[in-house]
Formats: sequence, C-alpha cells, structure tokens
Amino acid sequence: MKSLVKEFTKGIIRENPTFVLVLGLCPTLAVSVSVANGIGMGVAATFVLLGSSMIVSLVKNFIPDKIRIPCFIVVIATFVTITELCLKAYSPVLDRALGIYVPLIVVNCIVLGRAEAFACKNNLASSFFDGLGMGVGFTLALVIISAIREFLGTGQVLGHTLIKRFEPPFVFGMPSGALLVIGLLLGLFNLIKDRKR
Amino acid sequence: MKDKLIVSGSPHIYTRESVSRIMWTVVVSLIPAGIAGVIIFGWDALWITLAAVGAAVSTELIFELAAGKKITVLDGSAVITGILLAFNLPAGVPLWLPVIGAVVSMVVGKLLFGGLGQNIFNPALVGRVFLMASWPKYMTTFTRPFCDTVASATPLAALKEGKVLEHIPYWDLFIGNHGGCIGEVCILALLIGAAILFIKGYISWQIPVTYIVTTGLFMYVFGGNGFFKGDWLFHILSGGLILGAFFMATDYVATPLTAKGQIIFGVGCGVLTAVIRIWGGYPEGVSYAILMMNAATPFIDRYTKNRIYGS
Amino acid sequence: MNLHEFLSIFISAVFIYNVILSRFLGLCPFVAISKETKPAFAMSAAVTFVITASSAVTWVIYRFLLLPFNLAYLRTLSFVLVIAALVQLIEMIIRKVSPALYRAFGIYLTLITTNCAVLGAAVLNIDMFFVKGKPVVGSFYYSLFQGVCMGLGYTLAMLIMSGIRERLEFCKVPRALHNFPIAFIIASVLSLSFMGFNGFKF
Repeated sequence: MKSLVKEFTKGIIRENPTFVLVLGLCPTLAVSVSVANGIGMGVAATFVLLGSSMIVSLVKNFIPDKIRIPCFIVVIATFVTITELCLKAYSPVLDRALGIYVPLIVVNCIVLGRAEAFACKNNLASSFFDGLGMGVGFTLALVIISAIREFLGTGQVLGHTLIKRFEPPFVFGMPSGALLVIGLLLGLFNLIKDRKR
Repeated sequence: MKDKLIVSGSPHIYTRESVSRIMWTVVVSLIPAGIAGVIIFGWDALWITLAAVGAAVSTELIFELAAGKKITVLDGSAVITGILLAFNLPAGVPLWLPVIGAVVSMVVGKLLFGGLGQNIFNPALVGRVFLMASWPKYMTTFTRPFCDTVASATPLAALKEGKVLEHIPYWDLFIGNHGGCIGEVCILALLIGAAILFIKGYISWQIPVTYIVTTGLFMYVFGGNGFFKGDWLFHILSGGLILGAFFMATDYVATPLTAKGQIIFGVGCGVLTAVIRIWGGYPEGVSYAILMMNAATPFIDRYTKNRIYGS
Repeated sequence: MNLHEFLSIFISAVFIYNVILSRFLGLCPFVAISKETKPAFAMSAAVTFVITASSAVTWVIYRFLLLPFNLAYLRTLSFVLVIAALVQLIEMIIRKVSPALYRAFGIYLTLITTNCAVLGAAVLNIDMFFVKGKPVVGSFYYSLFQGVCMGLGYTLAMLIMSGIRERLEFCKVPRALHNFPIAFIIASVLSLSFMGFNGFKF
C-alpha cells in the first residue's frame, strides 16, 4: 500500500512531468493562457493518462515487443478520441479554447512516456497510481503557470480581477511570455534543488 | 595544464583602453541626443532617462550582490543600457514603464546570460520589444514636440496608416521637429555623438554605413508607388534608424567579429528594417531587425571566421 | 489558387506563427537537440521531410476515406497511425537507398513519430483548408505547401537556436539556468523579435 502511495506522490513533486522531467511542454505553453484552460487540459490529459496506463498494463503481456509503440498509440488515440468527442459535446467552449492541443494529447510525451517507461512493466494498481500522480502533477504545473500568465497578462485569475487599476503587461498572454515564464520557473526550480543539496 | 587553457567569448585581445573607458565615452556621446530630447520634449525626457538608468544600475547591483559576483556597475554598461532604452521610448510614458523595461533589459538581456560580454541580444532592445508587446498603447502614444500635451503621430506611423503628412521638410526631420521617441528624433545630435565614437575609433564604419545604405537603397527601390520611386532620404531620417545603426547595431558583443561578418550584419538589418517598414504591421522595424540579426550573429561568425594560418 | 495565398502561407508559417516559437509544436526535440548545429540540422531536415509527406497522405485519407464515410471523428487515430507507418516506411527506404543518409538521420527519424509538429501540421491543414467538410479550392496544394513551410520554420528556429547555444558554451550562464531554462529564455527573446513580422500584408 505504501508503495502505491509513493507511486502517486512521485508524479506531483519529485518527478513532476513538467518541472522535473521537462515533458509535455507543447500543450503546457500553448494552453496556459488562463487557469480555466489549464485545468481543462490537465483533466483531459489525466483522463487519457489513466485510461491508457491501465489498459497498457493490462494487455502488456499480449503485445509483441516489436510493435508495442504503435499498439500504445492506438490505445492512447482511442482515449483521446473519446475525450475529443466528450469535449465537443459537453463543453464546446473549452474545446474551442484548447483547439488542436486536444488531439495532440496523443503525442504528448508524458502519456506515451509513462506507457513506455512504466505501465508496460508494472501491474494494474501501480500503473493506476502512477498515471494519476503524473496527471495531477501535470495539472498542478499547468495551474501554476496559467495563474502567473493569466494574472500578469490580464490582471485576472479565473475571471476575477485581483488588483484594481492594474495595467497588465500583455506579453504574458503571448508565446514569448509563456516561454519566459517557463524558463524562469525551471531556473527557479533548479535553484531550489541546488540549494537543497 | 587544463586550467591554463582559458576559453572565453570574444573579444580576446584588449586594447589599452579599458572597457569602462569605452563605455563612459559612449555615455558622453549620447549626451547631445539626450539634451536634444529634453529641449524638444521637455523635462519628462530627463526623468524618463534618469528612471531607466537608475533602474538599470540598481538591478545590476542587486543581482551581483545576491549572486556574490564582482560588482561591475561602475563600468558604465548598465548606464548605457538605461540611456538607450529611454531613448527608445515616447516622452509621455509613465515613469514605471522605463523602470520595468530597464529591469527586463538588464535581467533578460544581460545578467541571465552571464553579464558583460556574454549577451546574445542588445539588452536595451530586449527591454524595448518587451515593453512594446506589453503596453502597446503607451509605447505608441507620442506627443508633439515643444508641446507635451498634444498627441501626434510619428512620420512613419502616419505613413503606415496611409495618411501622408503634409510633406515634412527634411530639415525638420534632421533636427527632430516631429513626434517620436526621446532619443531618436534629433539626427543632428545623434551624428555628433557618432562622430565622437568614430574619432575615438570605438566603432567602425562597416555596420552603420551598410545598414543605413541598405535601408535607403531598399526603400528607394521598393518603398514608393512603383519601383525606384522611394523617398530614401525621408526613410533614412525617420524613425529609429540613425539611433539604431550607430548606437545599438554596433554593440561589440552581440555583433559579428570580422569586417565581412559586420557587413553581412548591416545588410541584413537594412533589409529586415525596410521589409517591416513597407509590408509589416508595425511602422518601424529597427528594433526587431537588429534583434533578429543578433540571433543570426553566431551563424555569421561561423562562416566568416578568419582563416587560421596553416589550416 | 493564387500567389498571394502561397506568399501569405509562407510568411505565416515560417515567421509569424512559427511552428516552434509561436505554436509550441515540437518543443521536446527543440530544447533537447538544439545544442549543436549538426544534429539540429539533421533533425530539422528529417522533420521537414516527414511533415511534407504526411501532409499529403493525411489530406488524401481525410478527403477520400474519412469524409465520404462520415468517419471524421477517427481523424486523430488514423493520422497518428499514418504518421507512424510513414516514418517506418521512410526509414526503410532511406536505409536501402542511402545508408550514409540513414546513419546521418540516426535515431531522429524514430523520434519524429511523437513529434507534435508533424501531427499538429496535419491537423492544422484540415482545420484551415476544409470548410464544413468540403475542401476549399486548391486545398491540397495549400496543405502541402503549408507542410513544407512549417518544416522550414522549424529548421529556421532550430538553426538559430543551435548557433546561439553553441556560442553560449563560452558564456558564464548561472548554473541554475543551464540547459533548459536558458534555452527557453532565448526562445522567448526570439519569439519577441519575430513579432516584428506581425500584421504582414503583401
């Protein structure tokens, strides 16, 4: 039981997919314009991660090694397609906001990476918690980055104005601002890691 | 033996002139343009410049103290960055704008790369494009010269919107009697400063001359209604071209090492500036052109390196 | 089909909406492989090649297989499989035709399967050049050209980045910023500089 909890928590800090493993940056930078989008993408990706990790770990013994990557992709793509359709049906606004980055979850390094590095070598329970932890870690990272970008770029967070008469620097809503924020955050993370040693 | 091998970026050979002497001379060469800016746009120009310089120097000081590095604020390079940033701003901006811009210039443009001699991009321009992307309204609201409450468009902005101003006399363009950024409008003052740097041998002709000539040529060929009808003199005297060509495109660190490389750099800047002025959405392209060429500099250096004897 | 459209696709895909610096596609290899010029160029060349090929094939599949049979929702799944198969095929062909080239591309070819840029380009083509389930005039050529241009934009960003990072080896970048952080900060400034091309109108 303890090991299962460990599998879950490692995805949140110690092996956080965004800040430590530096994976899955494409959607992170693209959708982190607002916290709402960040949460949306995080939940969608977690769903795909959970589903595909579980299925992969269940069928791992039946997949010939040579074609395992394409098989993983089929599994992942199925879950992504389900996600796509659900979003289009129940939350078209979010679907439009996330745009092409929803189908791109299929090639998200985090999802494929966990399938390849973990799910195909571990049992169902571990894979479930690993996927959950990674998904939560990813969502957490998305929320942090989006909060910074939304606040600096529009003066609001989740649509609520925090400081009156604040003239927001628009650059943070743009790609350049996203790259700057992630660069500085990664640097900060490294600094903290170095100090801890 | 390994620690006797010092590998560093350029320049490797230092003249007897120390770095600070060169930097402070550049500061002096910028004073005429600063005085002109104050005359034309009022005391606001001075406050903005002082705010930018103060913020730049403080940022460098704090950063170096916090990182435990040698304090280099007295070498004048932070002062130059502050002045150049201020010169790229309209006179009507609120004082927090140059402060933020200067912090960004110093941190993102210079300190995060390792300090003096390590920057890839011209720090003042990094700050300027950051400000432009962040607060476009403030960065594009200009006041009429000698009358700080009336808004007026810069000649290039008017051109971009298709409203050709009643033809501004070249003399007015030359002495800066029109809307624009604090340090870019008075060509006369800028040329005086550039002359000082040339006489002292601190800048060479390759970059400024090729930059200006290329821009003029391109605008002559493509910049008018039909080919070969462009008003090249107007374009050379407008916008930030003279300021950029003599004081920012000549940054020692962010530009190619060899003369051949510098010519390529100047031509590249010229073409990019002209292309943005003619077909881009912005009326002025100098900042972007120089930054893009800064990015290309490592490549230019690679292919124009002097052949080592015997290789 | 007119020249204007092609010109605007070119400027748009290479400079304004640069696939890496603006759309954030292909970031993983961008920060991982852009440390030296040779591998950066090899990766970019391979990516351009695959994007072009896949733009063509995915367009055909969408137009003649998915749309007529109302299977548009299978787009993601089919595109990804097509790309994976294409990469395998290209790998086999290159290995046969030019072992030297195969050695040069090395592992990059396999990595491209998961490169967001390739799938992203295919999806973008569909989104941009199909309206309400019908291809616009010249759709195929626009898609193909956009694929090429996205590859070119990718190459441009990678080459600039590798040039800068090679030079950065000589600079005293603070230790916390080594590798990824400084790469992103450089990309941020590059992205700002490319904004000079915003609003381009021929």
